[in-house]
Amino acid sequence: MAKVLMKGNEAIAEAALRAGANNYFCYPITPQTEVAEYMAKRMPEVGGVFLQGESEVAVGNMIFGAAATGKRVFTTSSSPGISLMQESISYMAGAQLPCVIVNIMRGGPGLGGILPAQSDYFQAVKGGGHGDYRLLVLAPSTVQEAVDLMILSFDLADKYRNPVMMIGDGMIGQMMEAVEFPDKDADPKPPDESWAATGAKDRKPRIIKSLFLDPVKLEENSWLLHEKYERMKKEEVRFELYKVKPENEFMIVSYGTMARICQTAIDELEEEGVSIGLFRPISLFPFPSTQILEEATKENVKALLTVEMSTAQMMEDVVMAVVGNRPVEFYGRCGGIVPTPEEVKEKILEMQKTYSK
Amino acid sequence: MTTKFLDKVKVPADRYEMRLSGSGGQGMIFGSVVLSKAIGIGGDAKNVVQSQTYGPEARGGASKADVVVSANEIYYPKAMKLDFLLAMTQEALDTYYGQLKPDGILLVDTGLVTEFPTKNYYGMELTRMARNDVGHIMVANVIALGAIAAITGLVSKERLTEVVLEHAPRGTEDKNRKAVDLGYAEALKFKK
Repeated sequence: MAKVLMKGNEAIAEAALRAGANNYFCYPITPQTEVAEYMAKRMPEVGGVFLQGESEVAVGNMIFGAAATGKRVFTTSSSPGISLMQESISYMAGAQLPCVIVNIMRGGPGLGGILPAQSDYFQAVKGGGHGDYRLLVLAPSTVQEAVDLMILSFDLADKYRNPVMMIGDGMIGQMMEAVEFPDKDADPKPPDESWAATGAKDRKPRIIKSLFLDPVKLEENSWLLHEKYERMKKEEVRFELYKVKPENEFMIVSYGTMARICQTAIDELEEEGVSIGLFRPISLFPFPSTQILEEATKENVKALLTVEMSTAQMMEDVVMAVVGNRPVEFYGRCGGIVPTPEEVKEKILEMQKTYSK
Repeated sequence: MTTKFLDKVKVPADRYEMRLSGSGGQGMIFGSVVLSKAIGIGGDAKNVVQSQTYGPEARGGASKADVVVSANEIYYPKAMKLDFLLAMTQEALDTYYGQLKPDGILLVDTGLVTEFPTKNYYGMELTRMARNDVGHIMVANVIALGAIAAITGLVSKERLTEVVLEHAPRGTEDKNRKAVDLGYAEALKFKK
């Protein structure tokens, strides 16, 4: 298919339709409102369901209900809205329901601001809601990747019967780039409805719930979920390397928009003779820990730098990944301020002085 | 008046950063979307990233949108040092001139801007031309797009016209076509 120029938010919306997700519930919030706007127009065209809830709490529960029928369903929001959905996200993980949730992050905590941030990393990868559960978390760095990962998200949600979250900062939602959609609309194989609430005609009712008052049953469910998360760690790790070479002395770890800002910084540093590469996690859960350790412990690597639009959240996972084998430094901005390549460059040049002694 | 001439304009292939600025209602965002589509989609398309303010800045009267163009992949998505600045108001010029490269190109609506920080600029009375020569003030931005095509050579007049017409409300096709032609022809006069 020919390329089209689209805003990230619109591209995410269109990608979901291509993936056959005809059920969308939302509550508008900057900087993701264009998804809702786009869906309000497109859903009637494809005969799908568009519903604006009275709050994000309601939306979360609508997602639960729709997901329980086995149909593809998704929502989009931004940080404070995602916080309001946490209860139902935990319930969906507990009840093993597939759905896709997109967080176009803005600065927090609290109502925060409306400009780009990556400060919901912990919320996305470490829980957010209560209980022993994980979300499969993906982070695109371009509008095209947002399209590709959005389509993949629905497949992964079905594969694991677990909520999948795609997180992008405000830039990803707001900027326009040329994108290409798959030639053919996704033809998702009819979902496995052996568990879904499809109407109990001529069969026994199926109960979809996250309540297990019998501790033995609840423990059983928790270990079953745990097994899925362990399987994700084996099968769903995704990352990209940029200019990672054996002679490199430093490695940046960064994701989303921040990663592409680092790519510009790396190009400029290369011209100044600094040998440095980028490790860009695409899946934030499962985190590419083994792969980071492998790259970090290459002979010439002196130190790592994590760059985030937050006050060092992913850094904790990077530190855990390298288990003390290399120093990990941090550079970040927050509150809606997007670092420039120049700032990243300065930090690396400073590190070069420190570690070349 | 301007001391820069069209034949001296060089557009680098690796990264070209443009900003369209003015006040809300002057169609800067519309202009940036049309320009991005004209350059970034189609036969000899280059990579483009369009971004605009959506934050507190966008809530006031000022409006700006950036278009980054490259033959290569674009990593940093926003403009850093501007190669091209369109300023449709004095406020926009005062705010963004500092980010224009020393050899960057400045296009100004000289009907609305009276104080200039430099002698190096292309001046056109875009709003007056829209009102008097085309018949509607709304197409000042489209006249500017025509001029940008002529000055930078990043997109052909034909391709630009095509995209402008795709986006133009029904019934305004003639005015928009005329606006592109006018902007393009007037800017060509900057040739020695």
